[in-house]
Amino acid sequence: MAPALPALFWLAIVLVVASQVMILRSTVRAMRAAESAQARRGIEWAYAIVPAVALVVALAATWQESTAHRTRLDLEARANQTVAP
Amino acid sequence: MTAPTAAVRESSLARDLIALTKPRIISLLLLTTLAPMYVAGTPSWSVILWTGIGGYLMAGGANAVNMYLDRDIDHVMARTKLRPIPSGRLAARTVLAFGIAIATAATWILGHFVNVLTAALALGGFYFYVFVYTRWLKRTTPQNIVLGGAAGAFPPLVGWAAVTGRVDLASLYLFLIIFYWTPPHFWALALLKQRDYGEAGVPMAPNIWGERETIDQMLWYTVLLIGLTVLPVTFGVFGLTYLISALVLGGILLRGVWRIRALDAQGESWIPVAWRVYKYSLLYLALLFVAMAVDRHV
Repeated sequence: MAPALPALFWLAIVLVVASQVMILRSTVRAMRAAESAQARRGIEWAYAIVPAVALVVALAATWQESTAHRTRLDLEARANQTVAP
Repeated sequence: MTAPTAAVRESSLARDLIALTKPRIISLLLLTTLAPMYVAGTPSWSVILWTGIGGYLMAGGANAVNMYLDRDIDHVMARTKLRPIPSGRLAARTVLAFGIAIATAATWILGHFVNVLTAALALGGFYFYVFVYTRWLKRTTPQNIVLGGAAGAFPPLVGWAAVTGRVDLASLYLFLIIFYWTPPHFWALALLKQRDYGEAGVPMAPNIWGERETIDQMLWYTVLLIGLTVLPVTFGVFGLTYLISALVLGGILLRGVWRIRALDAQGESWIPVAWRVYKYSLLYLALLFVAMAVDRHV
């Protein structure tokens, strides 16, 4: 499965990021339609943005971890080739 | 005559105290605590036992305190009016004392028999549910269950910490999976119980944003959830067994939410489908976590 990992990673990232953008867009649309007060809108916007920011941090950590994992798999594969007669 | 009456009263009190802990909901919380323990390693029976008992008591305590705090609206909603406080079977103070007592016992059990981090995380989940969700978010924002979903996402962290003594990226993913699973799960129910929530003054998304916007968000949260469930595979936490399970289970959930959206767009009734989505979302989470544990041991 190792060769498919980069494609799987980027496909998942696209799904996650695109969905998060659509959620934020939908939240803004919903807040406008609900005609809430300006101060209330600011709080609602903060509620929407906090999970999005946390998600970006998690994705950045995932990118680092995925890269390290692929490097480990490559090194293992090379070591196996060297050991094999 | 006196003895049987006392026995009946005692058994009814025991039933009410158990009802305060919401055992059916806790069964899923326990599964999402115990399955990650098998993902994190090979836990001993004693760690499984104490984490299970501590987890049950902590979640039960949070549920009891939640019933105390919501006593003013529980009698309004059909689905909550038979709870022990609104039906007059238990005094509000008794419920509060019971909730605090079993949460305190849970903290001691987890700290003494498992480890301090596990106890701190479980207590963090308790505080988040009681103060952040119930006291702050629930009655003030239609995004209440989005941020509040974090309360239900603590159990995998608790299970993971019980085995490893730490929290890492893999365990954070289990947290995120439950966090992003909560909106499509809870909004399916909120769509069906709009009148109840409206009468109780709880600003659920369908009541404030409308059905169409809520269903749209359910769809995007489900797509996001599927993407998130795939990502741990890319850094070696899970393998092919889990990946296939996650895609199949997520695909079924997405199909259900998509069906609600399609029916809504056509102006047809989506009520039976929303019920199915709500019930399936519970099965989805349970099977996903079972798949995680199985994948690590095949």
